[in-house]
Amino acid sequence: MAEQVIKPDLDFVKGVIAAGGDSLKKCYQCATCSVVCNVTPDQNPFPRKEMVWAQWGLKEKFKGNPDVWLCHQCNDCTAYCPRDAKPGEVLGAIRKQTIAQYSSPSALVDFVNNKSSMILLILIPAVIVGLVISMFGSWSPEGEVIFSNFMPILAIQFLFTPALLFGVGVGIMGMRKFWADMKEANGVTTGDLKGSVTAMFKELMSHEKFKECDESKDRATSHLLVFYSFIALGIATALGVLYIDILHLESPFRFGYGTPIKIFGTVGAIAILAGSYLMMSNRFKHADRVGLGSYFDWLLIGLIGTIGVSGTLAWLTRVAGIGGLAYPLYFIHLVVVLSLFVYLPFSKLAHMFYRGAALSFNKYSGREALAEAQPAVEAAAAPVKSPSESEQTGTETKQESGQE
Amino acid sequence: MSEHEKNILVIGGGISGLTTACEAAEAGYNVVLVEKDPFLGGRVTRLHQYFPKLCPPACGLEINFKRIRFSDRITYYTMAEIEDISGGPGNYNVTVKARPRFVNDKCTACGACAEACPVEVPNDFNAGLSMRKAAYLPYEQAFPMQYVIDEGACKKGDCTACKDACKYDAIDLDMKPDTLAIEASAIVLAAGWKPYDASKIDNLGFGTSKNIITNVMMERIASLSGPTQGKITRPSDGKEAKKVAFVQCAGSRDENHLAFCSAVCCLASLKQATYVREQYKDSEVTMYYIDIRTPGTSYERFLNKIKEDEKVKLIKGKVARVHEDPATGDVIVEAEDIYGGSKIREPFDLCVLATGMEPMISGVKLPSDVKINENGFAVMGKDQKGIYAVGCAKDPVDVAKSVQSATSAALKAIQTVGRLS
Repeated sequence: MAEQVIKPDLDFVKGVIAAGGDSLKKCYQCATCSVVCNVTPDQNPFPRKEMVWAQWGLKEKFKGNPDVWLCHQCNDCTAYCPRDAKPGEVLGAIRKQTIAQYSSPSALVDFVNNKSSMILLILIPAVIVGLVISMFGSWSPEGEVIFSNFMPILAIQFLFTPALLFGVGVGIMGMRKFWADMKEANGVTTGDLKGSVTAMFKELMSHEKFKECDESKDRATSHLLVFYSFIALGIATALGVLYIDILHLESPFRFGYGTPIKIFGTVGAIAILAGSYLMMSNRFKHADRVGLGSYFDWLLIGLIGTIGVSGTLAWLTRVAGIGGLAYPLYFIHLVVVLSLFVYLPFSKLAHMFYRGAALSFNKYSGREALAEAQPAVEAAAAPVKSPSESEQTGTETKQESGQE
Repeated sequence: MSEHEKNILVIGGGISGLTTACEAAEAGYNVVLVEKDPFLGGRVTRLHQYFPKLCPPACGLEINFKRIRFSDRITYYTMAEIEDISGGPGNYNVTVKARPRFVNDKCTACGACAEACPVEVPNDFNAGLSMRKAAYLPYEQAFPMQYVIDEGACKKGDCTACKDACKYDAIDLDMKPDTLAIEASAIVLAAGWKPYDASKIDNLGFGTSKNIITNVMMERIASLSGPTQGKITRPSDGKEAKKVAFVQCAGSRDENHLAFCSAVCCLASLKQATYVREQYKDSEVTMYYIDIRTPGTSYERFLNKIKEDEKVKLIKGKVARVHEDPATGDVIVEAEDIYGGSKIREPFDLCVLATGMEPMISGVKLPSDVKINENGFAVMGKDQKGIYAVGCAKDPVDVAKSVQSATSAALKAIQTVGRLS
């Protein structure tokens, strides 16, 4: 077996532990996790190998590693882990670390996901939105409750469009870097990019992969609701932009509830409320078997929940004509939406880029067949063994002989 | 009263309890031995062979039974359980409840009662792999060599078939439970262990297929006195079990089940691998493990010898899924081959779960100064006085270590009796 010099990155280990992977060191490498996982590939399965890499601080191994993103954190592994090492939680914490590797500036990842900066996290966008209102809008508009009197549409567009472009731009840049690293780390040069991405989106639409999880199946439902609420609310917003900028309509539109923009908005609101409520209740329901989750998880759930609640209440109080409530609620809504846009590539929401890329890459590299799930025997014979994997085997042999 | 007239009470008649009783008695002290089952010898009686010498446990048991028979210092009670312990070192007052055997000392073990008995129940001695009558001899070489009537299974009242069949007037269906008061200066706890209930490990499929068995069942299947007369076959259809998987740490080293290492299962599986390999030359054995734990030179040598057999595969990776293929009756075992780098699913004729040892001591009503740890074993403090735990009442250990701890506890008990008389 070839000699290998191991350079442990202790900060990486501490980072994983701080991000909710505090059970990491309990793992004794039995591989129960890799077996009970329904979404792991047969060849070089996760999360057992990720656990030892993280324990040893082998940060380099995670460079271009798609596997932590193939995990949907259903926590089947955590439920059956004989050591209570919670591989599901640890992989979540590692994902946070990989986000820091790819979303730049990485300091923002630490800032966004650090409990102690929570106040600043809310305060900064609140001050920005407040300043814009002070400069271009009015804090207490008279008469009928019209949100554009409070915060002009133009101001929203000037503030939120760059914010969204920044978030998505950073995400896409990180994703491209991640993709290149995955190709390099796994020795993959070519593949069917269009086919892989299409297949990934097809799975995403039905949450097919997510539904393979055993322990917390119901999480697929809540995620599906939130996922489609984002799409519905995105369409409603796009329609708003269309009406204002292209058709040059004046806000408020005063459309009936049967019109597309209202339908998408209402359905989206209901879905985001139901989805985020289910996300929270599911986590409490399964807490004793699979853990409650970390700050990293709850920050996103909190943001989404607040967007849903503030948006819906602002809308209801507006319709009811209670300006004293509608405007503050709308303010909160604007602040959290702005946060979500800016924090997009730095929070857990960054999973939309990296998980999307990893799921596509798994098909692109041929590790997972594009058409149907491949039978076990063929999978075992498929020679997709990356250079890093061969080294990994060597590493473990060394550890084993060290113990003896 | 001289110290040699005082009693040492031994709770549990397995290999540890037997050893303590014999050692103390042969040193000149009186011993009262209380056993829950209708026979002495405990778990060891069910084993086919001991590791690492692969010799039959019957030899050692026979010697111990002979020691008891020839000693006038050992009084033993079978089918008896502790009801209460009061007092302290030097003067314990113990209440023992003895269940009725319904068979008296006139029994010659002719077997006429069992032949006549109309009731059949699963034979717990064979882990339910065979049936026995309600009137039965626990096993062929049982000590005492005396039949017993299973109170729970017997139809009683309207049926007297066994009594009518007995030529020796040995059956007394009106026998009542008995309460005994025992005075003792010292107590040795030898309550032993029971196999962990494999059906609690829901991902290993025990109970979903007859061909998924435990290591305790494997001992019975390999034993000449077992349900198949020693022929290793699979329970579903009697097919020769030539391809056998051993699943290590089935419920041991697992915080969802037994958090501790049961210490004997690796050696037990290696030993059972030799049962299969000896019986069928064309057999294959695969043992799936987290770590193979064979501490000590003789155990290490045993492992190395088995490793030389190329038909025995040792795969690092815990099995986390087992299910039956309904078409063939084969058992599919799923694991990650850690060194090989992939998930594997392999069919076997028979899958043996190496279940661990669950301590029984927590089931005994003990005085409050005996502490039980989080794993259910008795904790022996440095200044322990009067009550001493041995064998698997104290730690998960093999027979050799049980016997060592039993001998040492005999000395401790003797010292207590001497000091407090």
